[in-house]
Amino acid sequence: MFDKVLIANRGEIALRIQRACKELGIATVAVHSTADADAMHVKLADETVCIGPPSATESYLNIPSLLAACEISGADALHPGYGFLSENARFADILDEHGITFIGPSADHIRLMGDKIAAKETAKKLGIPVVPGSAGGISSEKHAKKVAAQIGYPVLIKAAAGGGGRGMKVAQCEEDLGLALSTAKTESKAAFGDDTMYLEKYLGRPRHIEVQVISDGRGNAVHLGERDCSLQRRHQKVWEEAPSPALNNEQREDIGQTVSSAIAELGYSGVGTVEFLYENGEFYFIEMNTRLQVEHPVTEMITGLDIVIEQIRIASGAPLSITQDEVRMSGHAIECRINAENASTFIPSPGKISYFHPPGGLGVRVDSGVYAGYTIPAYYDSLIGKLIVHGKNRNECMMRLKRALGEFVIDGIETTIPLFSALINEQDIVNGLYDIHWLENYLEKH
Amino acid sequence: MAKNSPSKSGPSKSGSAKSASAKSGEGLDHELIRELAELLTETGLSEIEIEKADMRIRVARNFTAGGQIPVTNLPPVAAPAPSSVAAKIASTEEVAHPGAVPSPMVGTVYLSPEPGADPFIKVGQQVSEGETLMIVEAMKTMNHIPAPRSGKITSILIENQQPVEFGEPLLIIE
Repeated sequence: MFDKVLIANRGEIALRIQRACKELGIATVAVHSTADADAMHVKLADETVCIGPPSATESYLNIPSLLAACEISGADALHPGYGFLSENARFADILDEHGITFIGPSADHIRLMGDKIAAKETAKKLGIPVVPGSAGGISSEKHAKKVAAQIGYPVLIKAAAGGGGRGMKVAQCEEDLGLALSTAKTESKAAFGDDTMYLEKYLGRPRHIEVQVISDGRGNAVHLGERDCSLQRRHQKVWEEAPSPALNNEQREDIGQTVSSAIAELGYSGVGTVEFLYENGEFYFIEMNTRLQVEHPVTEMITGLDIVIEQIRIASGAPLSITQDEVRMSGHAIECRINAENASTFIPSPGKISYFHPPGGLGVRVDSGVYAGYTIPAYYDSLIGKLIVHGKNRNECMMRLKRALGEFVIDGIETTIPLFSALINEQDIVNGLYDIHWLENYLEKH
Repeated sequence: MAKNSPSKSGPSKSGSAKSASAKSGEGLDHELIRELAELLTETGLSEIEIEKADMRIRVARNFTAGGQIPVTNLPPVAAPAPSSVAAKIASTEEVAHPGAVPSPMVGTVYLSPEPGADPFIKVGQQVSEGETLMIVEAMKTMNHIPAPRSGKITSILIENQQPVEFGEPLLIIE
């Protein structure tokens, strides 16, 4: 097991990692920008190293600075969290060269799943159902038109170097295709430095359902069930729940088994999430995230497993601690991502928190590093915490969520708590009847 | 670089030098306690806490007890193997000093161009802008730290081979 882990992230996830390390008896090093000197996880870590000025590029994304911090602190492993360098294969390679364990999969697997075309081809080879589309990259407008005619309009033009909902354009019909393709290419080049595009059938009203998987690189893999993350605003997840209200046990077992077998065969080591669009009883692979996800607590609440501890154990060379038969899923969990934004306009609201009272009680969990007197810096994303609620069934969970939201007080800044208070009263949400367009439609009306 | 203890402290964190209690493994380090007590008096701070590999000391000024400086002992803190050099403490005034030169990077300080050679600078020396003050090394790359302006070196705040973080004050040029 590692002696010392350097936490290469910030905010709520850095605190999450700090907690897992502490429970494993591992010493922690919190690296931070000057803007994050007062962060909660920085206060709690055993050692801290300031690695740069506020700008993420010069701090959390600054590979030399992170390496120097590992060197002077003597850390033997590094946890990248999510975002930042967590899916940067080059960073994983560099750490490896310096004898520091990257807590995550191999650089090769990161690279494989980072290329969305290669990822899709790999998924297909491993028996995971994929969205019908171009076999690889699009070579020309003529090629695009040919593929689109085969799979049927509307089609979605996607960037191979994209992911996370970025770099996508819809073409409703053949007339629109040329312009959509050229625009997408230009934007992709600017955002990702690469304009390789591929085509997929555009699904009208799918749900976003993802499967959490853990594998130890020795052919042992388990799935921990699915999460439904259909409620999104601008491709950012806002509300996630497990299990998905749309699936029955048979479907759940089936897709879970398909995914875990595929991951075991791949020889993947670590935690990962395979994301699907689900429509009319069919699953369509969109991408795999080779890292810890923001919404992992929802799975932890229904399985009772600490995913970060598993992740660290596997990275240190231990085999999986459970078999699929031992995985027990119980009850229902919902997570609300609390952002420092106005709940209607979504304008960011950094600033000082004057009063903070998180909800508590049975089945209520708050993952957040904020506290009264803390100033939310303006330099990073607006996620300030996650409220996760568990109940014996979805009804009890919703009641508990309503109660918890009613108790949650964050003064001094604006937050999206009011949005969730409104959502839990919406009939569609109560019934679990929503798709990936639902939230945007709701926001347009209100 | 800073190490945390329950009442947070660290050599380069500006502001709160909180009172700390500590216990050394075998017998007290009287020399160090004396040094800390002197530092308290010199700087006008009311408390100083320092934590090293296997020892944590807190020295606090008790104003109501006629200027005595009590030293309290706490149960020993389980310590990791010493992996970093004990850091010199920069007092609150030095950290906030307008002439303080902060480290532009994370790494290990070397005060001389090579082991055994004379240090680049000494207190009292005049330096011109751009002149090398010291080296901060990271991953075997030696980075020369240039003087940001001309002036006189009034204080050197770090020791040779001390690990430093971004923004940590290295010296004062007035």
